[in-house]
Amino acid sequence: MMSLVLMAANFLRQRRWPVLLLFLWILLTAAIAGDFGRSHTALDDVVFHAQQQAIYICIFSAFLAADALHTERKSRRILLVLAKAVSRGDYLLAVLGGTGMLAVVYAVLSALCSIWLATRTMLPSGPVWELLPLVVAGALISASTAVFLSTFLNPYFATACTLAIFCAPIPFHALRHPAWIWLPGFPMLAQFLQFSFRPDWSPNWMSVGTTLLEALVFWLLASAIFERRDVAVPLE
Amino acid sequence: MPGILDYTHVVKDYTSLWSPRRVRALDDFSLSLERGEIFGFLGPNGAGKTTAIHLALGFMRPSGGSGQMLGRPFGDAKTRARVGFLAENVALYHRPARTLLRFYGTLSGMRPARLRLRCREVLEQIGLEAEADRSVEKLSRGMQQRIGLAQALISDPELLILDEPTSALDPAARAAMRELLLECNRAGKTIFLSSHLLSEIELICHRVGILSRGRLMKLGRTEDLLVSRDRYEIVARGMPAGSIDQVSSDSAPQVRGLNSVPQVRVLPLDTNLGRDGHVQFTVAAASQREALERVWALGGEVLSVNPVRRTLEEVFLELTNHKEAHA
Repeated sequence: MMSLVLMAANFLRQRRWPVLLLFLWILLTAAIAGDFGRSHTALDDVVFHAQQQAIYICIFSAFLAADALHTERKSRRILLVLAKAVSRGDYLLAVLGGTGMLAVVYAVLSALCSIWLATRTMLPSGPVWELLPLVVAGALISASTAVFLSTFLNPYFATACTLAIFCAPIPFHALRHPAWIWLPGFPMLAQFLQFSFRPDWSPNWMSVGTTLLEALVFWLLASAIFERRDVAVPLE
Repeated sequence: MPGILDYTHVVKDYTSLWSPRRVRALDDFSLSLERGEIFGFLGPNGAGKTTAIHLALGFMRPSGGSGQMLGRPFGDAKTRARVGFLAENVALYHRPARTLLRFYGTLSGMRPARLRLRCREVLEQIGLEAEADRSVEKLSRGMQQRIGLAQALISDPELLILDEPTSALDPAARAAMRELLLECNRAGKTIFLSSHLLSEIELICHRVGILSRGRLMKLGRTEDLLVSRDRYEIVARGMPAGSIDQVSSDSAPQVRGLNSVPQVRVLPLDTNLGRDGHVQFTVAAASQREALERVWALGGEVLSVNPVRRTLEEVFLELTNHKEAHA
């Protein structure tokens, strides 16, 4: 367990600059939405801020996770890690764990910003906290899909395919076709898009559970494929 | 009884999805390491040494055959806690050396208290305690290599697998590394050492395997490999003055009656031996008796007959060139 936490933290540390930029981005967008010149923020701006932050972290997670294996193999640092008592599955779990840790910090930070905006608009802050587990689940399914695809695809293709899977339903969202529900991440995305500060909004906890289960399945599939990959073969 | 590291008829092919070309890196490779030995693994570039090491550690899977490390199949994660590995061109995270050692130690499943103690011991062993809190990217290449060795030693492993451990080291650091490896071996560790530095291998390895084009060309005790059984060196004295013609001071003398023996090579006279009819020559095992009889017939006295001792470099070149010629 300790080794997983260390590897996850190490994964994030290796990517600390883009992660810090991402955190600054939350503050910047909150400041823009809050519009410091005014004492009041428009309701639409507050909702849009919360929605866009939720989608950004899913996209960012895909970028981070898809690149993880490629970067570590290219630098050959993966060799000394996998030469220890670490299985391939553990290694991928640490990548997902790192993304999960990032998603939690990001979700809390963006929730605090959203609450600040909501307070300025006299909106209830309760729904923001309910959105938080959805954001983390969305980031995890996005990361696990990207990791799965990156075990056999170039990281650019893996990221592109993950985003295509994740965003494909958006144009068709109006159709509300039930088949989209089987697409990984779609239930989370649909809820992000439906998010509002109305008291009647509440997350579908069943879909959060299903999404986490899907993330687990992708991790298992990724581990099975990665187990058979030659990690010492030079890249490019 | 299984060895500490066993390869059984291992084959490894490299293939590409985009090309029909297949490169065979290891071909029917079998080897067994004995517990407590230092094994030298030699071969020219591209011979398959690193591939064999990577297979043992589970970085890749064999295309055929099988292998075991510490009694478990290759690639078993838990077994690797008992193995230390140093990769060729070691790549480390940019962290302070001490933090890095703790990181790798934790990955090997070590408890924090033991790890703290072991960190101190290992940094002392490699002589980098003063640099322990500096980030490794600020250290010299040689120091990084030593940190690489430290991370291999951190879990106090039973088996050390080292791929070119001395490649970036200066002569003094190389000698220190040699001492450290001998010390580890005295402490009971088995060492699998792949290196291009034949003199290093010759100095410390109990057994040597020479790999060429994926095949194990020679395997044996270092001492046995260096001593040739098909050629002998003979020193004789009391040869009659008229029988030795010294053409020049640096060339080999002509010994009448002896140069006609098949496969005899008279060596240039050593200044210490060049008196009193001394002569030194090598002869093939098959012609040894005839040469000795010729010395006696000339009235000489045989002082010594010893198998010719070669350097590991000579053995290595002979084997690898032979293979290249037949390829």
